[in-house]
Amino acid sequence: MAAQTEFLTGLEAPRERAGVTTGGWALRGLFLLPVLWLVFWVPHHSDDWTNDAIFAAIYAMVGLSMNVLVGYTGQISLGQQAFLGIGALTAANVVSTGTTAADPFTFSAGIVAAALVAAAAAALLGGVALRIRGLYLALVTLVFGSVTADAIFTIPSLNGHDAGVPAYRPTALQGNYAFYLFALAMVGLCIYLDVWIRRSKVGRGLIALRDNELVASAFGVNVLSYKLLGFVLSGAMAGLAGGVFAFWAQDFSDKDFTSAAGFNKALIFVVMVVVGGLGNRTGVIAAAAFFALIDPLFAGIAHHTGWLSFYTDHKAYISNLIGAGLLLQTVIFNPGGLGQVLRPFTRWFSGKPFTMHHDGDAAGAALGGGDSVRA
Amino acid sequence: MDVLATSFSSQINLLTPLISGIANGAAYGLLGLGLVLLYKSNRIFNFAQGEFATIAAVVAYVFDRGTGWVPKVPYFLALALGILAAVLVAIATERLVIRPLFNRPRVVLVVATVGVALFLIGLEGMLPYPQTASLRTISDALHVQAYVTQVNGVVVLDQDIAKLIALAVLAVLAFVFFRYTPTGTAILAVSQDATAARVVGISVERISMTTWAIAGFLGGVAGVLLAVPPAGSVTPGSITGLTLTVAFSAAVLGGMTSLPGAFVGGLLIGLIEAFANADHSYVPGLNSLPTAQAEVAVAVVLLAILLVRPRGLLGQEA
Repeated sequence: MAAQTEFLTGLEAPRERAGVTTGGWALRGLFLLPVLWLVFWVPHHSDDWTNDAIFAAIYAMVGLSMNVLVGYTGQISLGQQAFLGIGALTAANVVSTGTTAADPFTFSAGIVAAALVAAAAAALLGGVALRIRGLYLALVTLVFGSVTADAIFTIPSLNGHDAGVPAYRPTALQGNYAFYLFALAMVGLCIYLDVWIRRSKVGRGLIALRDNELVASAFGVNVLSYKLLGFVLSGAMAGLAGGVFAFWAQDFSDKDFTSAAGFNKALIFVVMVVVGGLGNRTGVIAAAAFFALIDPLFAGIAHHTGWLSFYTDHKAYISNLIGAGLLLQTVIFNPGGLGQVLRPFTRWFSGKPFTMHHDGDAAGAALGGGDSVRA
Repeated sequence: MDVLATSFSSQINLLTPLISGIANGAAYGLLGLGLVLLYKSNRIFNFAQGEFATIAAVVAYVFDRGTGWVPKVPYFLALALGILAAVLVAIATERLVIRPLFNRPRVVLVVATVGVALFLIGLEGMLPYPQTASLRTISDALHVQAYVTQVNGVVVLDQDIAKLIALAVLAVLAFVFFRYTPTGTAILAVSQDATAARVVGISVERISMTTWAIAGFLGGVAGVLLAVPPAGSVTPGSITGLTLTVAFSAAVLGGMTSLPGAFVGGLLIGLIEAFANADHSYVPGLNSLPTAQAEVAVAVVLLAILLVRPRGLLGQEA
């Protein structure tokens, strides 16, 4: 009985036309200014800041890809860094510029190929792994992540014989800020995909599956192909992020994805999607950007407070502690995550009256309660 | 003929991978035991198991070495203190993280254990001790010759023998515990149906705490035996990084619900790895994969087990 009501909560609530006056929209526009300032003006401050902002954009894309997988399909992946790496590897090898800038055509081909190859890898893994039920999938993706990294990324002809594959940007995007705008556009593409999934038949099917597989299949949702579709879309988004990553670093190096660095990335990706709030794209993007910016943020703070040497000695561990602390407080005290906190504001910006109450939009139900993923 | 025989035996040295496989397998089995215990009772994968082990190793190292703040104690007392620390951390994990989430979906608990692992790695990283050091081996502490046996010129480390004995003893003890003691059967009862167990008078809370304490103990024993040279160290996160994934594969291969299965699975995975990594120059084409034959082999075995026989070799529903 409870299962059926749960199934219904995932559906889009009926849209009501809110009567927002022109003044209301103007006010919302004014409050949007600080956000725009943060996104467009602050990264303009210096080249380093732009660099960090691009990294944040890449993490936002990975966060959205995790959101599709964990938030909408309710599957947990501990191997997402492998798709990021596959994307980066593909893009770098498609352009492999040597010392010159890529021409716009191969650049676009590289970006597209990054998404396609990662999607293909996801289809391959998903075809096998999705037959495995429940928590074992987490294990399989974990093993997949480390095996891909160590077996494929270390093949000398693919990683530039351990020296890295150069991936210089085309001249139009040579500047950091121009490339940042391009990365933002790619984030926009991922957001569009996310919105599309959420609103289409596919998304409703996925959420129904997540909430109760039996009920959903009784309603005619094709379990395996829908899960696979979610898996592939998530892989494609991570691959796209990987393509942007390769051109951000202007180089593919397997060291970014193998052993401890890769494992750490995998964990951070899970942490950020949970802290952001499963199924909540605003929260996930904000959390992803935060985790991408932890290092520069704390380096700055440490620099100004004279703790710099302590910080540089304990860098990796500080971000671990922060991530773990946020994750634990999220799952124990605030299952909706950051998205839950931001929800009243995002709702207001979308033209509804401001209220702190829940509106029953339970896209984040995967962690919120219920028996959405069973062992 | 004679020439062929000599070249054959020099190329296929089966003894070296056999011995290193058993030694590594013992390590995987030791960690796997704790994973199996918690899966058996709570139906979760505990990603913090490797960190229970590292915490034990770190504490044992600090007490064994002695610093300004920490007294230097005899080696085996230091090991015991390390294991105690792991038990305390496990109990704290249960009280602070697991119990508040007890009625939530299992995937939440798994994510929470990932958080615990990250947190413990961070905590270890903040502690002021030489983080690349490693614990003394048992033979080193007893001032005896480090290599006890040489079989056909292949040395066998006595630390590896200690691991193997500890693994066998613990697996058997745990098996007996679950089969014959009231607490053990109560743990199984809670894992099958917490409400029904409560109805017959079992304190679910106390049982949960006991389970985690035992898991901490198993992890602690693994930690103090693993963090020794040549491969082991007390670096934060080292045991998680080196063995956790493989320990999971071992536990799955043995059957996630079978404690002796963790023993068998550990040894099998260790052997698979060792033989996959061994010199394959006599098998054309096999050496073309760069460095990850062992990992690929383990991944293939894991997938095959999950697809063909999801309960593993010895597993059954508890």
